[in-house]
Amino acid sequence: MKNMTTQFPGEESNGLAEPSSHSGNDPFDLSRLRLSQDFEATTRTSKLLTTVPVRRPDPQTFFRVHPNDAYQMETAVLEHHEDRETYLVDSSLWPQIRSEIIPKVLYTAITRQDTLFIWPVRLEASDGRLDTWNRSAHLAAREAKKGWVRMTSNRERGAYDVLLPEAHYPDPEWPRMTFEEILRIAFRDHFIRDLDHPVIKRLQGRH
Amino acid sequence: MRLDDFSEVWCVDFEFGVSPGERPRPICLVAYELHSQKRLRLWQDELQRLEGPPYGLDGRCLFVAYYASAELGCHLSLGWPLPAAVLDLYAEFRNLTNGRNLLCGTSLLGALAFYGLPSVEAREKDDMRMLALRGGPWTKSEQAALLEYCETDVQAVVTLLQRMAPTLDLPRALWRGQYMGAAARIEATGIPIDREGLFLLREHWTEIQDDLITTIDADFGVYEAGSFRHHHFERWLCDHKIPWPCLASGKLALDEETFRDMARQYPMLEPLRQLRASLAQLRLSDLSVGKDGRNRCLLSAYRAKTGRNQPSTSQFIFGPAVWLRSLIQPRPGCGLAYVDWSQQEFGIAAYLSGDPAMIEAYESGDPYLAFAVQAGAAPPDATKTSHGTVREHFKACALAVLYGMGAEALAVRIGKPTPYGRELLRLHRRTYPKFWRWSDAAVQFALNTGRIHTVFGWTLHVGPKPNTRSLRNFPMQANGAEMLRVACCLATERGIAVCAPIHDALLIEAPLESLDETVAATQQAMAEASAAVLGGPRLRSEARLVRYPDRYMDERGEAMWNTVMHILHKITEGRSICI
Repeated sequence: MKNMTTQFPGEESNGLAEPSSHSGNDPFDLSRLRLSQDFEATTRTSKLLTTVPVRRPDPQTFFRVHPNDAYQMETAVLEHHEDRETYLVDSSLWPQIRSEIIPKVLYTAITRQDTLFIWPVRLEASDGRLDTWNRSAHLAAREAKKGWVRMTSNRERGAYDVLLPEAHYPDPEWPRMTFEEILRIAFRDHFIRDLDHPVIKRLQGRH
Repeated sequence: MRLDDFSEVWCVDFEFGVSPGERPRPICLVAYELHSQKRLRLWQDELQRLEGPPYGLDGRCLFVAYYASAELGCHLSLGWPLPAAVLDLYAEFRNLTNGRNLLCGTSLLGALAFYGLPSVEAREKDDMRMLALRGGPWTKSEQAALLEYCETDVQAVVTLLQRMAPTLDLPRALWRGQYMGAAARIEATGIPIDREGLFLLREHWTEIQDDLITTIDADFGVYEAGSFRHHHFERWLCDHKIPWPCLASGKLALDEETFRDMARQYPMLEPLRQLRASLAQLRLSDLSVGKDGRNRCLLSAYRAKTGRNQPSTSQFIFGPAVWLRSLIQPRPGCGLAYVDWSQQEFGIAAYLSGDPAMIEAYESGDPYLAFAVQAGAAPPDATKTSHGTVREHFKACALAVLYGMGAEALAVRIGKPTPYGRELLRLHRRTYPKFWRWSDAAVQFALNTGRIHTVFGWTLHVGPKPNTRSLRNFPMQANGAEMLRVACCLATERGIAVCAPIHDALLIEAPLESLDETVAATQQAMAEASAAVLGGPRLRSEARLVRYPDRYMDERGEAMWNTVMHILHKITEGRSICI
């Protein structure tokens, strides 16, 4: 700050004395006094992702699908209807439980509330057939790679409608994880690696 | 930087008399130099004979006092320059204990008690204060007693300094001390008041109140025999289908904050709110106006937890009902300007958090409309006219976030059900994620470390029951206070007559011929102050000019002022003030 140079209207004297020159450092150089307001630097935390649901997008929630193909995988899953659970099945078992598994693409998706989830969508059968529900779901996934969408059932058409937001929403912040890391969390307790898995035993009437 | 770096360290205390609205009248001075142990005792006649202070003022000499603006005010009264380096142990004690419960308060005696240091009896201190305030002439023994008492205060400052010195953050302490010089100048300048108008209001206030009730209550019918009747008000609310917040007891909440919120939603209530506020709070006799027609009172620097000034709400013209501010009138040949930062808190939040969308919104010139556009609630070509209501809602949300307000309170503010408030807050979180990470981190930092600080070190200590809303609010409010202090220092040191600092504004005065130039210089000082606090970026400011014979007018109080003046005109049959 500078010394006062202008006389104050209506006041006899209110000047500052000459600033010190003894130290060569201006004690009132505010830029030298400034303390950081980066509170994040000392409190920085990262959210530990402990759960990744495996499900269809909620019809009332806008979502995005990871645009990088490295974050999707064609595989086979087992859907246990009684428990409403989806299991990832080790490929070595596929020939032995072919009738129980369904070929699906696992898409990595995220909601506007930053909830990461795995979205399985059925793949074409070996004869190339695919119902209109799943065909429209793949189209929705393709749109969701480009922007936010919402997906609702249209029973009359037998397919999903894809809704786009009127507003421009900013892109999501994807967690800094590999697809493999995400899958490990999503299927931590839902991975079938041998035929002695309780779900297989139950389906085969072995207990 | 240490105390030993100064060639002289002067602990100084004045005894002085002061009447309401007047500048201090020095009675005696005692000063003690720490290194040489030199002691000075000067009575008022000796002080007046001096051309300047009997101690050095340059940056090699440190001036130490407890609540230095009083001592510096005496300097100004004596026509002495101000010291270049000021250490105010009051500001440092406040900073050290801000947020903590103090058994003995923040007076000099309280600070001594805090450290377990000996002090004079409080009763003896009061007796001496009364003797000083009584005014002269004083007998020889009274003079000796006052000088002796003044010396005990200096000794107390010396003892306190020695105790506090090892923990002082001296470079920032000197910055805080420098502001006490600006505060002294501002207190000395004061706010020009229409004395005749104030005299008439004081003289006829009882009659005016009766007439005000009759005039304003004609639209409400809620007063009976001069008293506000709850059941009449309930009926009026039912007739006008206005839902009103209730207390747990089921009775209407009639506190000032509720009335203010409701009047925002239902502007028809504003006259009634102002009437209630005026009748309940207004004590015109408390307004401190000196013989020269200037409103002067202690700014109470560093009194608020955020470090803001906290002048008496009854003595300071900006304290009581807003319509009373129309008593502010420049002197003949002069003008006033109320210069405030545009959306100061939004700007502070944007730049300190570094949120790019928030910065973009601030730099758009209308951050509230920009927020609505960014959140997708308004098209990119929206204007204040085309999307006025949307803008108002997003403005309320943006401000609510900065004040730590929840969804329910925000919904009340915008007159909508709670889900609307919740949705707006959700949109804010989505639109400004970096700001929220920073704000959350600020709260976490405070909880982790037990304190949170501003860019220049003003600190709030976290107590056993932390209020996270206050902690979240602190960076905006307290850095806003720092910004105002820098602006006050820059403006006063450049010779600008600052009449008052008001939250995020400066009221300045200048001769009419140089008013525009002075406003530009003030805005320049405020821009520099914002750059100092924000580390580069500058906040915009706006100025409202008042040229004599016009008077200052706050639009929120204009209708009430006109009503009061109309009544006064009737009472005095034309003798009232020219409006």
